[in-house]
Amino acid sequence: MSKVYSLVAFIIICSFAARADSLAADAKANEKPETAAIAQEVDLEAAENIFHKSCRACHGNQAQGVASYPKLSDKTPEYIAEKLRIYRSGEKIGPNSILMISHAKKLSDEDIANISVYVATAFD
Amino acid sequence: MGHVTSFSALPLAAALLAGTAVLSSPAFAQNGMNTTSLQHEVVLDGLDNPWDMAFLEDGTMLFTEKCSGLSVRLPDGTVNALYGVGDVEGYASNGSDLFCEGQAGMMGVAFDPDFGNNRRIYVYATSNLSDPHTNRLMRFTLSEDFSAVSDRVDIVDDVPYKMAASDHPFGGPGAHNGGRVRFDANGHLFLTTGDTHNGEVPQSPTMMGSKVLRIDTDGNAITENSPPEGFDTRTYTYGHRNVQGIAFHPETGAAITAEHGPWHSDEITILQNGGNAGWDPRPNMAGRGDCPDDYCGYSPNQEDGMNRYERAAFMPMTDFDTYPDAMPPIWNNNGWSQGISSAAFLDGEAWGDWDGAMVVGIMGIGFGGTPIGQRIDVIQFNDDNTDVEDVTEMTLPMDTGRFRSVVMGPDGSLYTSIDEGTIYKLTPGG
Repeated sequence: MSKVYSLVAFIIICSFAARADSLAADAKANEKPETAAIAQEVDLEAAENIFHKSCRACHGNQAQGVASYPKLSDKTPEYIAEKLRIYRSGEKIGPNSILMISHAKKLSDEDIANISVYVATAFD
Repeated sequence: MGHVTSFSALPLAAALLAGTAVLSSPAFAQNGMNTTSLQHEVVLDGLDNPWDMAFLEDGTMLFTEKCSGLSVRLPDGTVNALYGVGDVEGYASNGSDLFCEGQAGMMGVAFDPDFGNNRRIYVYATSNLSDPHTNRLMRFTLSEDFSAVSDRVDIVDDVPYKMAASDHPFGGPGAHNGGRVRFDANGHLFLTTGDTHNGEVPQSPTMMGSKVLRIDTDGNAITENSPPEGFDTRTYTYGHRNVQGIAFHPETGAAITAEHGPWHSDEITILQNGGNAGWDPRPNMAGRGDCPDDYCGYSPNQEDGMNRYERAAFMPMTDFDTYPDAMPPIWNNNGWSQGISSAAFLDGEAWGDWDGAMVVGIMGIGFGGTPIGQRIDVIQFNDDNTDVEDVTEMTLPMDTGRFRSVVMGPDGSLYTSIDEGTIYKLTPGG
């Protein structure tokens, strides 16, 4: 399973890089993944800790979405990571942004990669 | 997604058992004079945000799902979908005007105390029949075979609803509707409501948000209600924030609320007829200036965590400086706001020292350094039943969740629903 998760982390890193940079930089980004995938395996244990501390109380114990908080388990890791990065920047993108910004601004790039994969895959 | 669809996702064997206890666990051993060994069963699972339940003596259970509708679970485990929200499929009939948005949707439910004779039930839900939309308390007749409801009468049709998003935490439409529907021993019907993120609502004499209404089954005020001059006479108490829990003390009969706090101070309050709960989030008063969208409920510093006592000093849940006669809370969750949602009283010798104690469900929030706190607390009163003597976190035999509802069942068990989609049965002993 860890190989699968590593692969997903690899995709996320690719995705971020591709979005962040210009076409010219994309070529460079495409050269990065192999190194990045090796350097950064997804830490599911760390992700689970973040999930229990910061996500579960609102989004539900299976990330199924509860009350006024959306379902996460059906989202892609890329989608979740993108939204977390936006929240971390302080940009408001929905009615619960204040809550999300508060949590997201504590997350590192590694945390975001970890939690994005965990939430999207742990409850399949 | 309607619950019929939800059940279809279960394996065949489980689907055949849908509506019955499908899981059970050994008792979780607890020791100590204030604790009780508990067993748990899953009564229903795969639900859509179950919000409330109500029971008959034979175990028949009404339950609501916020965005789906009203259903009944019969003692043999059969589940009949009765009245759907909007156009949700699978229900015997639908309220085309009903909808869910944010915290709003189908919420509290109750059987009439004389249900055996009149077949009446009561459901609180959000409706678009009025513009602006409102929350309504509907009365229905439930058919003899428990398969359908009819004769809808909206006995309360004017509880405010938040139409548009605002610049606040949880700031989407549909915020703060209250929602619990309960009868006391005198047959009076109580409905709890919320402030809809509108600073004018709590102390308003005529807007029926932030109130506890005490009415008869036609929606008329109880004659003995004694709110201040000029208030809508349906008002039993006012000046609340968002009351989702109400229960009646088994000895004194007092109505007691459990109420969400604003980043601080969840409160339990023994209500006094005509009393003011002291919540007044208007800007430019009580030492405050302007606030986002004219609502100071999350101020100051609504976008970051800060000391809860500093928050309470700036925007008190019960403002005794402005309202010296406000009803004093008997518990404030140690100054935390963790999403207290519902209340009930345990009943039966099997509960040991907890027999007659209050339980409250807490959903958990976890903002700005607040411990998440998903749990059920047992609140024991003093000998005079006027104050809290002890609070014990119930050691649960199952995983925690967003405990939206706690309801005492006729079988001596405590039933609790979590937003995640499960209704549990907690039974002492084992």
